[in-house]
Amino acid sequence: MSVYERGITRGDLLKAGGAGALGLVAARPAFAGLARAESTTLNWLTWSDHYANDQLKAVAKSIGIQGRPTLFSDNADAYLKIKRTGSQFDIVSGDALWVPKYHKDGLTESFDLSALPVSKQLFSIARSFPFWQDGSHYMGYPFSWSTVQIYYNPKYVTTKPDSWHALLDKKYQGKISLENIPTDVMAIAARATGAKKPYSMTTAEISKAKDFLKAFKPNVLKLASQNNEVVRALADGSAWIGITNLGTDDRVKDAGGPVIKTAYPKEGTIGFIDSEQMVKASKNKAVFEKFINTTEQAPWIAQNFLTNGRPLFNEKAWKMLVNQGHGDRAKRLLYNQPQKALKMTIKGPAGNEQAYVDAFNEALGA
Amino acid sequence: MGARRFAVGEYLGFAPALILYGAFFAVPLSIVVAYSFWKVRDYNVVHEWTIDNYRYFFSVPTYVRTMWATVWVAVLSTALTIAVAFPFAYWLVRHVPRRLQRTLLVLVILPFWTSYLLRVYSWLNILGPSGAINRFLQWTHVTSSPVSFFLYDRPAVVLVLVYLYFPFAALTLYASLERFDWDQFKAAMDLGARPATAMRKILLPQIRPGITTAVIFVFIPILGEYLAPQLVGGTRGIMIGNLIVNFFSGAEYTRGAAASLLIAALIVVLLVVFRRSLEIKDPYASGR
Repeated sequence: MSVYERGITRGDLLKAGGAGALGLVAARPAFAGLARAESTTLNWLTWSDHYANDQLKAVAKSIGIQGRPTLFSDNADAYLKIKRTGSQFDIVSGDALWVPKYHKDGLTESFDLSALPVSKQLFSIARSFPFWQDGSHYMGYPFSWSTVQIYYNPKYVTTKPDSWHALLDKKYQGKISLENIPTDVMAIAARATGAKKPYSMTTAEISKAKDFLKAFKPNVLKLASQNNEVVRALADGSAWIGITNLGTDDRVKDAGGPVIKTAYPKEGTIGFIDSEQMVKASKNKAVFEKFINTTEQAPWIAQNFLTNGRPLFNEKAWKMLVNQGHGDRAKRLLYNQPQKALKMTIKGPAGNEQAYVDAFNEALGA
Repeated sequence: MGARRFAVGEYLGFAPALILYGAFFAVPLSIVVAYSFWKVRDYNVVHEWTIDNYRYFFSVPTYVRTMWATVWVAVLSTALTIAVAFPFAYWLVRHVPRRLQRTLLVLVILPFWTSYLLRVYSWLNILGPSGAINRFLQWTHVTSSPVSFFLYDRPAVVLVLVYLYFPFAALTLYASLERFDWDQFKAAMDLGARPATAMRKILLPQIRPGITTAVIFVFIPILGEYLAPQLVGGTRGIMIGNLIVNFFSGAEYTRGAAASLLIAALIVVLLVVFRRSLEIKDPYASGR
C-alpha cells in the first residue's frame, strides 16, 4: 500500500499537529534570538507624515533597527493606547502640551537631548522649549510644527476672511471643510469667542464656544477624518474654505486644484509642535536614541518637507532646501521662523475633555 | 451512567462556540455595560457608579434628534435596498437560465473583493463636482457648472448605503425565491388570480422569512454606520455613529459605551419584532 492509499486517521492528524506545535514552541527561542541578532523592531505610534517608507527601509538597512509605524488620529487616542498597552509601543509621537502630560503620568521617559548628535542640526529654539524640559533632560525629540489657519479659494471668496467670525457669513453655507478633532475645533471656537485659555475653558466660555459652533455649523460642508479630505474638497471645488495646517495651498495645487490663498485670523489661532517620545515601558529604550539619530538626519527631514509641506525643526534641512532651490517655498511656509511656533496657542489636553466633546457633539450633531 | 456520558458529549460540541462567544462577546459586552455606568476623569475611567451617561444622552435634544435621523436613514435605505434587490432576485430566478444565474450572483458579490473604504471613496468620484455625474450633465449641457447637490447630504448617504448593502439583500432574496414552488403561483393564476394578487397572497407570505432576513442584514448594520456618512454625508448627513466615534476619539469611553448600548438595545427590540416574522405557521392566514 502506498503512502497515498493508506489515508490519515484523525488520531494521526492530531499527533502530527501536536508534534509540530511542540517543535515550533521549542524552536521559538532559537528563531527569536536569530531575529534579534539581525534587527530590532521599534513599534512607533505616530502620524503618517512623520516618516516615509523608503526612509524606514534605509534606516533598517544601515543600523538594523526597523521602525514599524502604527497610525493614530488624535492625541487623546494615542495617549490612551500608550496608557493601556504598556510595552507594546517603543516610540509615540505627541503634540506640544500633550508631551508633559505623558511624562507627568509616567508614560514616557525624558532623555539627554544633547547626547544625540543629530540634535545639533535643530534650531536652537527647538532645543529649549520650556514646556518640554525635565531638569537637564528633554521630554521629546522636536520634529515639526504648524499653525492652523484659513485657506480660501479667491475665485469664490472675494474678501479675505481674516477673522474666525468672517466664516459665519451665510454666503459660505456648506462650503467650509475642517478636520474632525473635537478638542481642537473647540479651541478654535475658544479663540473666536475670546476665551483666555482655549484648552482650559470655563463652563461659561465652553457655552460661548458652543454657540459659535452652532452658528458655524450650516457653513460646514464636512468634518474630515483626515487632512487629505480637506485638500480634496478644496481641490475639486466642493469647499471654498479649509481650516487646516500650513502647506495646504501646495497640496491643493499638487492635487490639480485651484490657487488657494492663506488668511491668518486676527483673534489668533492654534497650532501643533510635534515630537517623538520614548515610551517608559518600552523594552527597546537602549536603541531609541540610535534610531532617532538616524531617522532625523537632515536629508530625510528635507525630503519630508517636500512631501508634506509644513515646517520642521531641523535647521540643517532648511539650509539644504535653500541650496536645492526650495528656499522660497520653505520661507513661505515659515520654515526659517520656528519662533512663530510659540506665538500660537499650542495644542494640549483639554482641562475638561468631557465638556469639550459634549459641546462639540451638541453643536454639530443632527 | 451511559446516558450521562452521552449528555456530556453533546455539550462538548457546544463548548467551542461557548468559549468563543463567552470570551469575545459576552465578556466584552459586560465590560461595555459596566463602562456605561462609570465616569471619566482626566482621561481615566473611574469606577464610580452613575446613570449620568444615560441621563445626559436623553437630556440633550441633539442626540435624540440624531438618533431619529439615523433610524429614518436606516428605514429609507433598507426599503430602497429591498425595492431594488427584490425585482433583481425575481428576474434572476424566473428569467435567467440556471447556468447564468451563478455568474450573475458572482457579479453581485464582486464588490466584496475590494475594501469597504475603497467602495465608499469611489462614490466621491462619481458624485463629486468633478465626478462622473457632473461631467455627464455638463457634457450634455444640462448644467453649465458642477452641481453640488449630489454629495455631502443625506441623499448621498442613502444612495451609498443602498449600494453597499444591495448584495446582502439580493443574495438572501435569491435564496428564498429559488426555493419557492412556482407551480403554486401558476395554480393561483389558473384559478383566476391576477399576477399582483398571486404575488401578494401566494409568493410574499411564503418568502416572508427571506424578506425579514434581508431586512435584518441591511437595517441593523446601517444603524451603526459611521464611515459612509462621514465620507459622503458631510455635516448634513451625520448619523449617531459619528457622534459615538467622537466620544471614543476624545477618550470619553463611558459616554460612548452608553450611547452604543442604547443602539444595541434598539437592535434587540427590533430583532424580537423581526423574530415573529420569521415564524410561519399559517402563511395563507386560513384560520385553521
